[in-house]
Amino acid sequence: MMTLSDIPARGGVPLTPSMGVFVAVLATAPLWLGHVGLYQYLGVEIAIWILFAMGFNLLFGYTGLHSFGHGAYLGIGAYGFGLFQHSVAVSLWGGLLAAILAATLAGAIVGAFLSHRRGIYYALLTIGFGQVFWFTAMKLHWLTGGEDGLLNIPRPDLVIGPWRVDLNDNAAFYWFVAAITVVAVILMWRIVNAPMGRILQAIRQNETRARFVGYDVWRWKWLAFTISAAVAGLAGGLFAMAQQSAYPDVMSLHQSGIIVMMVLVGGGLVSFWGPVLGVVLYFIARDVLGGLTEAWLLWYGLIFVIMVMVRPEGLAGLIHTAVQRGPTPVPAAKPEKA
Amino acid sequence: MTSLIPHLVNGLTLGLLFALIALGFTLIVGVMEVINLAHGSLFTLGAYLALSTIGAGWFAGTPFGTWWLELPMASRYFIGLALGPVLAGLAGMLLELCLRPTYGKAPLYGLLLTFGAALVIEEVIRLGWGTGEQSMPVPQMISGAFLMGGLIFSTYKFYAAGFAIVAILLVWLFLERTPYGAIIKAGAHDSEMVRALGYDLARLRLIVFGFGSALAGMAGMVMAPIWGLRPHLGIDVVIPAFLIIVIGGVGSFWGAVAAAILVGLATGITGAYAPAWSLMSMYILLIAIVGFRARGLLGRRSALEN
Repeated sequence: MMTLSDIPARGGVPLTPSMGVFVAVLATAPLWLGHVGLYQYLGVEIAIWILFAMGFNLLFGYTGLHSFGHGAYLGIGAYGFGLFQHSVAVSLWGGLLAAILAATLAGAIVGAFLSHRRGIYYALLTIGFGQVFWFTAMKLHWLTGGEDGLLNIPRPDLVIGPWRVDLNDNAAFYWFVAAITVVAVILMWRIVNAPMGRILQAIRQNETRARFVGYDVWRWKWLAFTISAAVAGLAGGLFAMAQQSAYPDVMSLHQSGIIVMMVLVGGGLVSFWGPVLGVVLYFIARDVLGGLTEAWLLWYGLIFVIMVMVRPEGLAGLIHTAVQRGPTPVPAAKPEKA
Repeated sequence: MTSLIPHLVNGLTLGLLFALIALGFTLIVGVMEVINLAHGSLFTLGAYLALSTIGAGWFAGTPFGTWWLELPMASRYFIGLALGPVLAGLAGMLLELCLRPTYGKAPLYGLLLTFGAALVIEEVIRLGWGTGEQSMPVPQMISGAFLMGGLIFSTYKFYAAGFAIVAILLVWLFLERTPYGAIIKAGAHDSEMVRALGYDLARLRLIVFGFGSALAGMAGMVMAPIWGLRPHLGIDVVIPAFLIIVIGGVGSFWGAVAAAILVGLATGITGAYAPAWSLMSMYILLIAIVGFRARGLLGRRSALEN
């Protein structure tokens, strides 16, 4: 049976053909999005969610740690950005840095707590912490604005040397988000192809074995969680810029579940690019199904249920089968007896 | 100190209700090692189905509907109490059939599938009954309030708590004192052996899932007059159930009951002193207990840890 670690490492070279295609598609999106019947703002949403999903999959797909509360770190990033603009200074990089730092700190603390846990206990505790953050955001009115959230978050200008770019211009904002997403994805690519990525996959396949081989499993699990939270925080900062607000629903369990669904439907368990497919498919489903029926989530949910039943390796697994015409890699077959 | 007593009573009542909610959930986790995230949605579905039965929503406007509404409220209520759970149980059996391809794989897939199912059921409820909040009527004999020690208590809450105690004891007796309960427990412990002894494991799982889902539906029906009915109630319900199982320890019946009462007491007592934060207390309890005892209060080793 083929698993992730049987796919040969590609030596950390960032510009493989697939990376090239990704960058090209993301870079040209504004030119053709309108022509295929989609609206421009969708590009921004998709780019932000790709960023979030890629960071999430480092934890979920590569390390095999099932976080069901990851919306919390997206939300913390969004609040971090918003609070910085409102109470420190109107500053683009300051805000994004605050978003990353806030989410990294939260992720580091929670990750330290979680990393001794396994399986369902791990998953449940992520839900528990996610709910604590959500609840805190709801209840700390004086800080977060309670249920209404932080409103009127400004989008500061992007200043590079003598140039000043107004990010309130939608096209400029898209390029900005897309550029950050590309840089982050290249970084993720390097991480998963570096020895660290191999160690994370070793932990995913058999934590006990990885421990006996001599890896400090706690430290790697903690690191994976923290990096993943940091990327989610960055995505959250961009999210706050896009929506010009930050509100508790971003952190809801529903939202945390949606990211899991996106990544699984796309095939994040078997492929680096799976999360990208999943995010794109989700937004297309939302737009196409949403145009046909009010209850589009019913149909998306059904598609998801059927997918878990018959093709748990997701869209990437399907493509893999179609291309190779070989046996499909089935992820994490049987729970091992430790 | 005397002012604490009503809060303790309230907390205990709440705890028993939580135990009722977690009852079907713990049965399914214990026997099948499936975390059924759709449990809360089946709970909600059962309550809505019962609501439509009581109010003749199915046959409104037809002669049958008119005849039905002329029946006394109490009899309609108890027919709803029987029918809602049965239909929720059937929905649960359908879900079990969908779950079959995930057996023998990582527990993640069962979790994900039931999450998707929860989403589907929630949307179905939204389509069928609308998004607004609805209230469940109760018969006269169990409504109102009474005075005890100078304090006012809701009669219905006591009825519901009593209902929970009876249900918990019946399920326990069923598991411990009947041959069928023995087979179910054996199936949880060593499914290969049960199969080798000639029992139809697939049917056993179907029945347990149906039974657990019916218990969810029944809990929904009982809780609806207290909490009100809204389509997304499921998620508010499944999370406490999930927390209770983990605090109590996966696979332990009395662990779950004890955890439910603990959660009820924590919620009740914080509710008295810091009402805005009372829902948070169960998460704090979870983090505190699981932080020190990895398998909860009375848990044993299970495949769900992998």
